[in-house]
Amino acid sequence: MPLDITERVDRRAFLTLAGSGGIAGLSGCIGFGGDEESSDGGDGSGSDGSDSDGGDSGDDAPDTIVFGQPGALSGSFDFLQPGVSQAADAAVRHINEAGGPLGAELELVRRDTAVDPQEARTVATQLVENDNAAAIVGLFSSEINPLWDYLQDLRTPIVTPWPGSTFLDTRGGDKGTPSDVSDDEWVWRTVVGDTVHTGGSAVYALEEGFETLGIINGNTEGERSYVDGFLSVYEQNGGTVAERVEVELGSSSYQSALSRLFDADFDAFLVSMPQESAITALSDWSDGGYGRQPILSDTLAQQAVIDQVGSDLHGAWVASPGRSGPSYDTFEDIYNEEGDAEINGWTPPSWDSVQVTALAIERAGSTDPEAIQKNLGPVSRGEGTTVSTFAEGKEALANGEEITYRGAATPTDFTEHGNVFGSVTISTAESGGFVETTEVAAEDVREYVAEGEY
Amino acid sequence: MGLLQEIIFGLVTGSYIAIAAIGFTLIYGIVNMINFAYGEYISIGAFIGFLAAHTLPGPLPVAVVVAMIGGGVVSIILARGFFTPINHTGPVPMLLTSIGLGIVLRNGLRLVGGRSARYFETETSTFQFDAIPDLPVGPVDLLGGFFVTSEQLVVVGSAVAVFASIHLLLTRTDVGIAMRAMGDDESLARVRGIDTQLIRDSVWVLAGVLAGLAGVLMAVQTNVSADTGFSHILQILSAAILGGAGSPYGAILGAYVIGLVLAVSTAFLPSSMTGLSSAVAFVILIAVLLIKPSGIAGTEVREA
Repeated sequence: MPLDITERVDRRAFLTLAGSGGIAGLSGCIGFGGDEESSDGGDGSGSDGSDSDGGDSGDDAPDTIVFGQPGALSGSFDFLQPGVSQAADAAVRHINEAGGPLGAELELVRRDTAVDPQEARTVATQLVENDNAAAIVGLFSSEINPLWDYLQDLRTPIVTPWPGSTFLDTRGGDKGTPSDVSDDEWVWRTVVGDTVHTGGSAVYALEEGFETLGIINGNTEGERSYVDGFLSVYEQNGGTVAERVEVELGSSSYQSALSRLFDADFDAFLVSMPQESAITALSDWSDGGYGRQPILSDTLAQQAVIDQVGSDLHGAWVASPGRSGPSYDTFEDIYNEEGDAEINGWTPPSWDSVQVTALAIERAGSTDPEAIQKNLGPVSRGEGTTVSTFAEGKEALANGEEITYRGAATPTDFTEHGNVFGSVTISTAESGGFVETTEVAAEDVREYVAEGEY
Repeated sequence: MGLLQEIIFGLVTGSYIAIAAIGFTLIYGIVNMINFAYGEYISIGAFIGFLAAHTLPGPLPVAVVVAMIGGGVVSIILARGFFTPINHTGPVPMLLTSIGLGIVLRNGLRLVGGRSARYFETETSTFQFDAIPDLPVGPVDLLGGFFVTSEQLVVVGSAVAVFASIHLLLTRTDVGIAMRAMGDDESLARVRGIDTQLIRDSVWVLAGVLAGLAGVLMAVQTNVSADTGFSHILQILSAAILGGAGSPYGAILGAYVIGLVLAVSTAFLPSSMTGLSSAVAFVILIAVLLIKPSGIAGTEVREA
């Protein structure tokens, strides 16, 4: 090689440096994911209450109670965080204006996990050990599933608006025995699981005559789970999958994967990827002129997706958790006073997660994590007075009544596995954005989701 | 679609990896350091190009030129500020400094540029070729129809222009010949009157210019974010190693091998494992290095 400028290069040294550099670089990358942000300061001193499961007067209540909120302040899902943060902040403000749980001031400490499991483990530990969080109101499927055993050992209630994973269908909750925590699992979710809204999506796809499907999905837990939830209903009801391609997220091109996918013969194709990767893949799809009906996963119901992919995407539809819980209007009024972040499918569940956890503390008369865990079921699924906010619940409990919280996203009627059930909204991409075109009622989806298995 | 389509995809991927890998390998060959912050140089180039596209009049090529100039300026400033002062300390402190600088730059970009991805507004034309006779080869077709987009043509065209320019620079200009002399033996070059600091600075500027170009090309394909370059750094590093560290021509060759393997392996892997095409590329990288440790186009290591 006449132009080779490497004769003095020691190859072994290069490889050694490159290897050590790569490891150190990746370590640095992981270590820097821990941005922190506190919406309220967050020097709190939380869980020092007594072990009680209800009816306590709260005489030993602390001055402040801390909820920890792991969030996607960065990473692939950061575009959803503003709405979720604003809903949680609005809930905290509303609760404090109503006198606070046990008369204490509620504080929210928010920390960034970037939806990275390792970072999430660090953040969860910090929230509980350093911030004295009485409960955690966050965590994604991609974080919960790999950290499941660790989170159980943490023995702190996790009431989260994020995870759709089918992994949680039969995990979490109090197993219908609130006073007995020995059989409990410490995760509750206020958003409907993938089994529900993907079930609704699959039902709608079959009704539309799409009997054969192609699938492209990312290689993370959340993306796989969405597809698995869809297929569990789709295939049981006569649908078939012609080709399924799993891809690495963050690639600069998905054209090879699309080429592979569209070699198969199918009526419609399902895309389950985070927004940034999905925009790349769908732009490649548009450039390639592959055509056919796109069905998108719920996180893709964003204006940015249509703007970037263009008019080829018009007609694509998304099935999302319905936003029309019994107290949606009440939530929306208070939410809009807090700021102008766009409401997404995880926004009302964020409000519900803070409200229902605060009500559990109020009923428990304690901030002890076990007491909160024992009261999440009773304040949500009971036969008591229906309440739509913490203020109403606090008043009813003060009057000696039992309460049942009816949420903004769903009725928040926790199943024995800590899940909620609700309707499914179908939205279609048009030039102006995603427009809600129809709704699959919760009862219709329930037909495909067995009792006890969700 | 046939194998020919996958090869076209691979050539496109290889093209923007190659542009970046040339800059990366020039720094290694002449400054004698592995610059792990190079991914962030690419991201900075993408941000500068994006900013230019939204503030300056004129078509996208104007933004590309601004990104290249900006990349060169940023590169020399960072070199003078962080690497030149410790140049005498050896490769390990330089490496660690580059890692630290990369982390700072990446998080600085997140702070300044925001956390959400941004997108270039481009008009893409697609050119379809359907009439090529098919020739089946194993599980895939060899030819069949294929398409290319205007963006892909721009990427490949830019790469060809860069390759030609680099070749002319290294063979026909005093600066390029001095770079080769320094890459061969810095002490001898200094004795022969070459201003080695000037040549180092020239390499930093050139590497920054290439990073700026690669940044815009990558960002047009995907998006502009703090991770635009970092997400490609392993591919760039691999291309440099595979081709022969320090060799610009080797980096080009290595980049196309990586790009083609990434694309073509997708056609042959089981459908549930297509996400592992990166792993296949690295398996081939390891295999090549086992057979030829100096890389495809590298020179054998001298024994002391």
